[in-house]
Amino acid sequence: MISIHLTQALGHAGDPGIAERLHNLSHRGCVDYLHVDTTDINRRRQRLTSEQGVDCMITLPRDQLLSNGAVLELADDRAVVIRISEQQWLKLRPRDCAAALELGYLAGNLHWREKFQDEILAVALQGPEVAYLERLHFFLNDGRAERAPV
Amino acid sequence: MTETGVITGAGPARIGIGGPVGSGKTALIENLIPVLEERGLEIAVVTNDLVTKEDAERLQRTGLISPDRVIAVETGACPHTAIREDPTMNIQAAERLADLFPHTSVILIESGGDNLASTFSLDLVDYWLFVIDAADGDDIPRKRGPGIVRSDLLVINKTDLAPHVGADLGRMVQEGDEVRGGKPIVLTNCATGDGIEQVVDHLCHDVLFGY
Ligand SMILES: Nc1nc2c(ncn2[C@@H]2O[C@H](COP(=O)(O)OP(=O)(O)O)[C@@H](O)[C@H]2O)c(=O)[nH]1
Ligand SMILES: [Mg+2]
Repeated sequence: MISIHLTQALGHAGDPGIAERLHNLSHRGCVDYLHVDTTDINRRRQRLTSEQGVDCMITLPRDQLLSNGAVLELADDRAVVIRISEQQWLKLRPRDCAAALELGYLAGNLHWREKFQDEILAVALQGPEVAYLERLHFFLNDGRAERAPV
Repeated sequence: MTETGVITGAGPARIGIGGPVGSGKTALIENLIPVLEERGLEIAVVTNDLVTKEDAERLQRTGLISPDRVIAVETGACPHTAIREDPTMNIQAAERLADLFPHTSVILIESGGDNLASTFSLDLVDYWLFVIDAADGDDIPRKRGPGIVRSDLLVINKTDLAPHVGADLGRMVQEGDEVRGGKPIVLTNCATGDGIEQVVDHLCHDVLFGY
């Protein structure tokens, strides 16, 4: 297995100069993608295997972050581009005001990352959904909340 | 990559060490320091305590590390906020150590003792371990606290005490595996040093590249 060390974001796949080089490299199958989990985008150091099986050791400066489309390597024979997997949400609709208060309290207590969309509480999943559903067991069972379509 | 590790402009790696009070976080750091040094890493430490500097002073007294390479952060409130919601104090402490000792390759950040729900902000650390005490009950991994589920490395410490309290280590590892989706678990005994090399192997593979 090839191992490479990636130490900075050189730019974005859409940047004018970079886009053209990526386009040319792609004709030769030389654009490789690194899939990063949404929960790991703030991580400056991590080790991941690319789509083409390259072992990538990432060490970013503290003032840089990974982003979708960030280009970490741009050489004559290889480019490495970041792909961030889409954030998965668990959407919950509380039955009434009292249930909403309780649900909000529970979610806060569990330090879930969430956003409010009108009467829906959307929880950003940072692990398997089943672990979240377990905590919501009582709410979902007695009807104080129901899952809303994603 | 060089023989003694990767030199980059990224500064020292930061590794968090969390877990309940008394699970052996400071003991783990005491065990890690000589092994990391042996592999050529230069170390600094940040400790978090509620209102004292006890862990920092304990490390400074060990003679394992130069006392000025250890900084204490007094969190003054819920210790988990200092490593997750607002890690500013800890980030500043880590930056100070990196400035004072520019060749530092890794900064270990011990959280104040916390519950099973504590997690580290990735703005503060690159990687974090969660240390639990085998004698606290072999049902802990099954309870799926965020520390157990989300940490990059789960350390089950005090394996020497397991037989005395009837804790089944095999079961702890198996149930830990089930909730962690394949992320590693290491059994340690900080009284003898068992398992420490393995912890360092994981650190070197996952974040301390080139060592
Ligand atoms: N028997 C045994 N005792 C340990 C082990 N690790 C730590 N201890 C002891 O457990 C107590 C708490 O350890 P400490 O490192 O202060 O825990 P912390 O609060 O997580 O930092 C101390 O008395 C340690 O000597 C271990 O693996 N086996
Ligand atoms: Mg301690």
